[in-house]
Amino acid sequence: MEEKKLSVNNLVISFRTPGGKVQAVRNISFDLRKGETLAIVGESGSGKSVTSKAILGILAGNSIVEGGSIIYDGMDLLKVGEDEFYRIRGDRIAMIFQDPLSSLNPIMQIGKQLTEAMLLKGKARQKSSRTAFNTTLDRLAEAMAAARPSEGAQKASQMCKNFDRFEMKHIELEKAYGEAHEAAGEAGDAISDVLFHIEKNAFEDQKYSLKEIIRLSGETVNEYVVSGSDRERLKKLLEELKSCMNSEIRKKEYPETVRILKELSGILESALKKEQPDFSSMGCYLVDSGKPLPDMPIAQLNSFLKEYADEHFMNEFRAWMREALEYNAKTYNDKKKLVIDAIGERKQTFAGTDWDKKACQDAAAALCSAVNESIDPLEVEKDGEAYTFAETLKAAVSDYFEGIQKNRKAVALHDKQQKKYDGLKARGKEPGWKVPPSTAVDLDLVRDNVNAILDRMAAHYQERLENAKNVDFVGRMSGLEEFFKENASGVVMRITKRMAKYKALKLMEEVGITETRKRYRQYPFEFSGGMRQRIVIAIALAANPDILICDEPTTALDVTIQAQILELINKLKKDRNLSIIFITHDLGVVANMADRIAVMYAGKIVETGTSEDVFYSPAHPYTWALLSAMPDLETNERLEAIPGTPPNMIYPPVGDAFADRNKYALKIDFEMQPPMFQISETHSAATWLLHPDAPKVEPPKIVTDRIARMKLKGGAINAE
Amino acid sequence: MPNKDETLLRVEHLCQYFKQNKAVDDVSFEIKKGEVFGLVGESGCGKTTTGRSIIKLYDITSGSVYFKGERIAAGTRSYKLNIEAAKKKYEDELKELEQSGRSNEEKDKLRREKKEELDRYIAQQKQEIHSARADHRKHKVVTDIQMIFQDPIASLDPRMTVGQIIAEGLRIRGEKNKKELDEKVYQALEMVGLVREHAGRYPHEFSGGQRQRIGVARAVVMNPELIIADEPVSALDVSIQAQVINLLDDLRHKMGLTILFIAHDLSVVKYFSDRIGVMYFGKLVELADSDELFAHPLHPYTKSLLSAIPLPDPEYEKRRKRITYVPLRDHDYTVDQPTLREVLPGHFVHCNQAEFERYRRETGAADEA
Repeated sequence: MEEKKLSVNNLVISFRTPGGKVQAVRNISFDLRKGETLAIVGESGSGKSVTSKAILGILAGNSIVEGGSIIYDGMDLLKVGEDEFYRIRGDRIAMIFQDPLSSLNPIMQIGKQLTEAMLLKGKARQKSSRTAFNTTLDRLAEAMAAARPSEGAQKASQMCKNFDRFEMKHIELEKAYGEAHEAAGEAGDAISDVLFHIEKNAFEDQKYSLKEIIRLSGETVNEYVVSGSDRERLKKLLEELKSCMNSEIRKKEYPETVRILKELSGILESALKKEQPDFSSMGCYLVDSGKPLPDMPIAQLNSFLKEYADEHFMNEFRAWMREALEYNAKTYNDKKKLVIDAIGERKQTFAGTDWDKKACQDAAAALCSAVNESIDPLEVEKDGEAYTFAETLKAAVSDYFEGIQKNRKAVALHDKQQKKYDGLKARGKEPGWKVPPSTAVDLDLVRDNVNAILDRMAAHYQERLENAKNVDFVGRMSGLEEFFKENASGVVMRITKRMAKYKALKLMEEVGITETRKRYRQYPFEFSGGMRQRIVIAIALAANPDILICDEPTTALDVTIQAQILELINKLKKDRNLSIIFITHDLGVVANMADRIAVMYAGKIVETGTSEDVFYSPAHPYTWALLSAMPDLETNERLEAIPGTPPNMIYPPVGDAFADRNKYALKIDFEMQPPMFQISETHSAATWLLHPDAPKVEPPKIVTDRIARMKLKGGAINAE
Repeated sequence: MPNKDETLLRVEHLCQYFKQNKAVDDVSFEIKKGEVFGLVGESGCGKTTTGRSIIKLYDITSGSVYFKGERIAAGTRSYKLNIEAAKKKYEDELKELEQSGRSNEEKDKLRREKKEELDRYIAQQKQEIHSARADHRKHKVVTDIQMIFQDPIASLDPRMTVGQIIAEGLRIRGEKNKKELDEKVYQALEMVGLVREHAGRYPHEFSGGQRQRIGVARAVVMNPELIIADEPVSALDVSIQAQVINLLDDLRHKMGLTILFIAHDLSVVKYFSDRIGVMYFGKLVELADSDELFAHPLHPYTKSLLSAIPLPDPEYEKRRKRITYVPLRDHDYTVDQPTLREVLPGHFVHCNQAEFERYRRETGAADEA
């Protein structure tokens, strides 16, 4: 199974309003895996946007997070402070908002807004990457020294230092190569575009594109892309192009330009075909031997370099690293055993109903430190359960003792009001008000909660220990190397203003904005709605995030642009292995995007499954209603609109929230909330219709017809 | 049932230029009585401008709009261009005449003849301009055409009650009797599925779907013959979209309405419209019956548009390939300029002669197969 990126557990959020407490999100849980798209579908007011805002920590001031956790990268996002959140928000979790105008600064040029974050975050990222790189390397050195005490710490730290130098050199070389290679590709594309326009007799006033070609081609000069005699030829050609360009544009005849461009594209093509050298070994060779590279063809060079690097450094380093990892795993597994024992011992303190404050707090502190000590710092894939244990336990314990205090007051207040009410009743008066329910904390629940946290932790560690034999150390090693590489590139990557501008222009082009140079200097009010939305998407993508939350990104756009944007998001997902949460009310859009779908209604997830599950065998009446309200190209019969409006969530219904608008509602739907019924491994829905005793109900005809049609044609509606 | 063959609205060579920007460029179509005519295209292609030009929110640059046979809007630019062209032609001919080796008398005579001809032509064009202006001025307000706007929040005045909003049009038309006014407002409210009590409330008290219903009520209270619905559902949730579409469908049958339906959601347009016109950069590129258009799209832009529709079918979506439209690659208009031509009966495509013949071959082949 793919790595979990984000997991939301039992999230409950309400809003304080003058009318009462609105329950926006009622106990939802879901996981987001790496590289997948999870779509959350529902009407407006179903709590989908609130969930996404909670993930980003930008809930409105009147919101109350009543419970649950959102675990990301070993942190509980509901408990993270604002300072910490600066590092996450926009950088690692980015969001595309529904309303583009409200997320753009009206008095700032578009270009500035696009580059602002890049420039700011660029510096911060450089620093944080360096710290992450250094601390992990130090830990590795420690572990290496401990794993081989006979050979001493000296050697280990020397090796790590060497690794640092090699890695930085490697990344520098690779980055330079990558930029030149990319420039060559782009220049090639630009040239064929210009040639196409000239051939069609439609090339005019595109001075910029020729200039762009000159700039891009100039950037392709690199030892391994365009070098040697090619480089001289390229320079000569560019000079020629510069001198003839202006006069030919004026005359609107391009004999010289075409000749030069064709020659240029020949050079670039052969450059793109060249093999990529092994930079990792090259970095090692250059730094270690201090000698220049031997002159040989690339394939030969690669094997030479690899041999050199393996012999002189990598083999030894890898062996040490493996030992260090194994040693660490063993040490920390012992500590995990201690934690399990400690939990077993300390559980006594939390047993029964009468807790001793001092003893409980001591026990909690001891357990927290034990768990914190048992976390292996060399594990790149963070164990969310362990990382968030301390915070969660402390919060729960303090909830209990604060609750005792609060309850005294709350009970007294409630008793007073009840007395007054009873008094009035006794005198035969009918009071025009009701006694508000007591606000006392349910201490039993809190106690259960604390015990559940402990049990979960113990069970989790038990499982880890049982699996300890099957740990894939080769995989963990490559994970660690990948981690180092990522951070090293974060250190080497320096973003200048010019680069940021160039990147911004490219992003604008990528999201389909024409005349980017002119647009770059304009203000948000000069853009149409669709254009603004594209800018917002470009800004969200600029930071290169880990998780992208899209809150109705295409609702305001028309079909062609919607298709472009969706394709763009899909492409980015594939390229960068992004995890996406896609929020929308339009099921048609989702089929294209989602791997999994969660249908939300009135703050609850009513159905969840893979997109095939939800589209080919929907189970919840609300999903049926959504599907039947939407026309497709072959719909002829009358659409089935969903009658009524969503319920008022100040007084959430006792039973199924959708029962009032549901023509398939059973009697029990009005009395009791349905649990989640598992239909298949991936598919489940919360409706009493799935209960074994429920009558058999078929989905509406419009839905079954469509599904039959889709199956018949093998999903090829309108494919002619 | 209304007579399907009667033409309610005819748009001829409609042009709407905003300075250099040709928002609508030479668009012609007809809407029959009782039908729903869909207008689709991407944002900025001029579909909204077309709708607004018809209802005279803009003074059109050139072309004419006929409603029930009467010209209600007309532009003068084409006539002015004609005059200029004629003058230029006259001057060129004079120059030619000077250089030719005829005798002076003959030259004078020819000159006089040409001058007269030119004067006659100019006078005739000026007459046209005059009548166009007169027609344009005569029909200042056309209450038989009503409009429903895209954004139900922005198009309702927040300081007026729903009753006032709906009655405003009637009051402007000269309805004075308070009781009758109220009665009409109530009727309109009930017709769109709201209740009398809603008349006293303000727009912000309603949900999105209800607000759009108010917009519809405001349009139908005038008892119009033609409604221009400018993206009436694109700002609404899917479930509410269905409510509004069903409502428009009911009203259309009940009141015998004709609707010009402007939208970018092709599934909705296909579901709701009888005939569809596809616009691209101010030009009408294809016009056909909705089934015909979706079954045999001819113009490359229509094809690309159809290939972009997302469907609720994951298997299909995985295989769907979007076709991109690049005018320069797809057409060669260097020699022969394109016009709107009828490829099949009732199926018009914007193309030149070569393409026209190709399309005919394609459709012929498609029909046989």
